[in-house]
Amino acid sequence: MNVVNELLKQMVAYTPIYTLSSLGLVIGGRAGIFNVSGEGTMLAAASAGYIVALQTGNWLLGILASAAMGAAFGFTLVFIHETTKVSQFIIGISLVILGAGLSDLLYKLVLGVQLFIPEAPKVPEVRIPLLSRIPFLSAFINQNVIVYLTYALVILVYYFLYKTKPGLELRAVGENPKAADVVGINVTLTRYLTTTLGGALLGIAGGYLPLVVTGTYTPNITNGRGFIAVGIAIFASWRPERTFLGALLFAAIEAIALQMQLSGTVIPYQFFLMTPFIGILVVMWLFKKKVEFPASLGKPYSRE
Amino acid sequence: MNNATSTDKLKQLWLLTRPYVFALGLAFLFTGIMLGLLGFNVWEAFKALITTSFSSKFQIVETFKKFTPLVLTTFAFAIPFQIKFFNIGSTGQMIMGGTIATMLGLGMSSFRVPSALAIILILTAAALTGAFYALIAGALKAYHNINPIISTIMLNFVAMQFTNFVATTPPWQAPLTGHPMSKELPKWMLLPRLFSELHIGFLIALGMVAFVYFIMKKTVIGYEIESVGHNQRAAEIHGINIKKTTLVTFFLGGLLAGLAGGIEVLGVHGRLVEGFAVTSGAEYGTFGTLTALISGAEPLAVPAVAFLMSILLNGADSLQRRLMVPVELVFLTQALIVILVVTMRERFRKR
Repeated sequence: MNVVNELLKQMVAYTPIYTLSSLGLVIGGRAGIFNVSGEGTMLAAASAGYIVALQTGNWLLGILASAAMGAAFGFTLVFIHETTKVSQFIIGISLVILGAGLSDLLYKLVLGVQLFIPEAPKVPEVRIPLLSRIPFLSAFINQNVIVYLTYALVILVYYFLYKTKPGLELRAVGENPKAADVVGINVTLTRYLTTTLGGALLGIAGGYLPLVVTGTYTPNITNGRGFIAVGIAIFASWRPERTFLGALLFAAIEAIALQMQLSGTVIPYQFFLMTPFIGILVVMWLFKKKVEFPASLGKPYSRE
Repeated sequence: MNNATSTDKLKQLWLLTRPYVFALGLAFLFTGIMLGLLGFNVWEAFKALITTSFSSKFQIVETFKKFTPLVLTTFAFAIPFQIKFFNIGSTGQMIMGGTIATMLGLGMSSFRVPSALAIILILTAAALTGAFYALIAGALKAYHNINPIISTIMLNFVAMQFTNFVATTPPWQAPLTGHPMSKELPKWMLLPRLFSELHIGFLIALGMVAFVYFIMKKTVIGYEIESVGHNQRAAEIHGINIKKTTLVTFFLGGLLAGLAGGIEVLGVHGRLVEGFAVTSGAEYGTFGTLTALISGAEPLAVPAVAFLMSILLNGADSLQRRLMVPVELVFLTQALIVILVVTMRERFRKR
């Protein structure tokens, strides 16, 4: 039972990476912006968050720096797209590469080449008394602050999208921007806000890696998770509650793959490391008939 | 009269090149400011970036050696892009090609066949490996409507793990090395040299440029690809099979990327080395994507832009060596050039 509990705890600890990043994509996607730059955004945010947390000795400032970097990426994408109507995918891919370059450059410029990579201050854990004694449940609540933030955000985004008027308007922009425009919803502003905010969530997911999971920044620390987030958003049909389930699944795959790798089976460890990437293809294939897209997703909108 | 037409031509040329001039100007301006702020000698840095490739015979060869895989990975992106699909997977296709090439080469190293036969066999296997690896993403798009941006990238990560597995596992692994790499391939299997360090892979790449041009401009398949890219619905009405066209573009793209992997193994490293598809801080596949986007994926523009990019990459290496400027800065400039070129092209088109 202890083993299962440890595995669960590990899984839950990985969950914010996938939840926050795909939630960020869902918010922007619901307004019609298909942001594929997740990998680059998360990388640049991871680097910025680590550097700031290390220099200030404060994890919160680190997370905020990550969010700011992520927001800057989201804003850049929506700004270029809305001003020039260039394909969102081309801008996204360029931003992936820009982010990869920027993350290492920032690190090299601020910290230089170091023999020992210092650990950044970690995000603190919060234990809830009594509840944290219950097996299994404890794995979900003996966690760092960002995990609780993740739970809150999933509920908040779900409530906002489906139970409030601005949420309805946001979805209208994604489904039919022209109709939304006709009834007086500001399509451009909605897209700016959601993509920038979504970028901030991607940023926090990026900062989570050095500030919780590894403690240090290493080049290519995201290792494809930014792209897996896109896959999760797609097979979750751009719905926040399903995004969370998808994130749990991929956090579980990552935790189990790590355990298997450490336990030393006859199967070479590289094949365990492949599993998340094959996994995303498998689930996308399994859910291909069921997935729904916001109708204007990825398409530019102009009044003419 | 004569005068008028020549100014007209000049004007047309200006209209055509205007977005590129502006984009390059802005990108270099930004880079210059960054370099200045970081305390580097801006003039020296730009001089190194642009002139290094022409400074000696060695540097010219180095530029050609970078051009060889780069032009292939650029086409690997550019061909599916003709019908608006993104093959970000040339990295995976290239390293899969190189990995299978190595496994095949080591496997047949004890059979002494004529060099030319071995080379042709290995390069064909590498190219086909890349082609079928890309075909996975092509089929997922054609039959299951799975976005190739996601599938090709996922396949990149799978390929990287597979390469690492081969490079760290007997019987392929080279004993006593820290970095994951395979045993050396026998010398007679390697690509012959044209002069100094330039291998015939360069000529093969040039041949492939002609091959792609021929396919795209002179064959029915090329015509179909162009029609689908131009207007998918109209092409469908005229009886063009979209699924087939999708598969063909991915197959061709992967073929070239896989070949690039085989050429790098047989021409440069003589074995499988983890990271063999990396140059100047990023994968040839990534630079290929950037190059294709800058060139607008036009078959004729691709080799020209790929050559300019090779000059820039070679310059970036020397910048890092001589002036200690991080290569990532040049990397950043290139991503910036893409964004600027694409936006400028769109902006000027509208007017």
